[in-house]
Amino acid sequence: MAFFEFKNIRVAGVACAVPKNVVRTESFKPLFGDEEVEKFMAMTGVRESRRTLEHQTAGDLCFRAAEELLQAKQVNREDIGAVVFASHSPDYRRPSTAFVLQYRLGIPKEAVCYDIGLGCSSLVVGLQTVASMMSCGDIKKALLFVGDTAGKSVYPTDRSSVMLFGEAGAVVLLEKTEDDKGEISSLIRSDGSGFKYMIIPGGGYRNLHAGEEVVMCQDGNERTLMNSFIQGTSVFTFTIFDVPKLIKDFWSRSGTTVDDYDCYAFHQANLYILRQIAKKTKIPMEKLPITLDRYGNTSGASAILSLCDRYASGKEGRDIKVFACGFGIGISLGVTIFEINTDDILPVFEDDSIYEEGLITNPNQLYGK
Amino acid sequence: MEKLLEILKGIRPDVDFENEKALIDDGVLDSFDVVSIISELNDEYDIQVKVTELEPENFNSVEAIMQMVKRLKGV
Repeated sequence: MAFFEFKNIRVAGVACAVPKNVVRTESFKPLFGDEEVEKFMAMTGVRESRRTLEHQTAGDLCFRAAEELLQAKQVNREDIGAVVFASHSPDYRRPSTAFVLQYRLGIPKEAVCYDIGLGCSSLVVGLQTVASMMSCGDIKKALLFVGDTAGKSVYPTDRSSVMLFGEAGAVVLLEKTEDDKGEISSLIRSDGSGFKYMIIPGGGYRNLHAGEEVVMCQDGNERTLMNSFIQGTSVFTFTIFDVPKLIKDFWSRSGTTVDDYDCYAFHQANLYILRQIAKKTKIPMEKLPITLDRYGNTSGASAILSLCDRYASGKEGRDIKVFACGFGIGISLGVTIFEINTDDILPVFEDDSIYEEGLITNPNQLYGK
Repeated sequence: MEKLLEILKGIRPDVDFENEKALIDDGVLDSFDVVSIISELNDEYDIQVKVTELEPENFNSVEAIMQMVKRLKGV
């Protein structure tokens, strides 16, 4: 059992950014028909989502979120000792996007930087990773970035995914505390037998130069090997049984109950799945914020997006106990709980900025200063 | 079988589950219907439909679904 407890690390702030471009799910009716789109909206809850510009990345959205958070919290950037970017949407195949963010944000060279290759579970596993690093090192402050631009890898007529995904980037500021006030706990699980359930088969080093040939797949959708594949029914089957068990096991292992948490910040997979998990765990839906309707499934950023959406407008700061749950590609699933003051939850920012220095369209650009 | 028919009609009232024998093969049920059925079967019969059971032949008819339920319950 991969259970972790950290007594001296706290979440000091969160922020999130989304692209300005709104894609309404109804706009797919001419392509897929009224009935299919209406049924999709009823099941998934996705009525609209946000999509990035061609060269805009999750890193760009994370950058905006971090700038806002560092300014709001008046953080001295010299104090940041770690930058971790947990995502399946890096700026480049290499190097890690964490280095790009370090450079753009002016984080000192003494910081440790790396990426973690995760999607929908990136927040919960990322928090566990960064808290572990901080608890056994001398890092006082760290930035965890989560976010994806999953829509970019979907074939444009793939009805299993093209209406589902939204895009967002988020940041979490973690701080070491002098006392034992901070408390983060995690329970993480993995099931590699499901690695094919959500996959982009080409472009990795097993099939680096996979062709762009369009293939009609057995589920009736066209795709290339460079597009994302989702076996929705298989994913659902794992989700509906393994996630409620994980949640109940966490309560049991930590000696807590459903009533001990103020907010269940869950990965926004789809509305039907969230309702089923809530039903099987008896989590009240009013404690489980939903952003699927306006932002779609935003992968690892979705739980933070939901926190920002629900709490940022509040005027009175109060401490809340957050039960975050992420599950998806890998298969990877986990719970991480933490406390945060609602004053430290920033509103959702909209941004279409592109990091021009990072856009390399000609190799000779790399020889410049 | 009556209970199962009630569940299925609750999910898709427009489908003739008594007579349809190719619910998946003919595209009568889609993936959203299948996941709804899996969840309802879990609630009603306390069974876990594993990924390996997600074959069309297990969902093509009410009889096939019932057979799968019995198999998973060890009846």
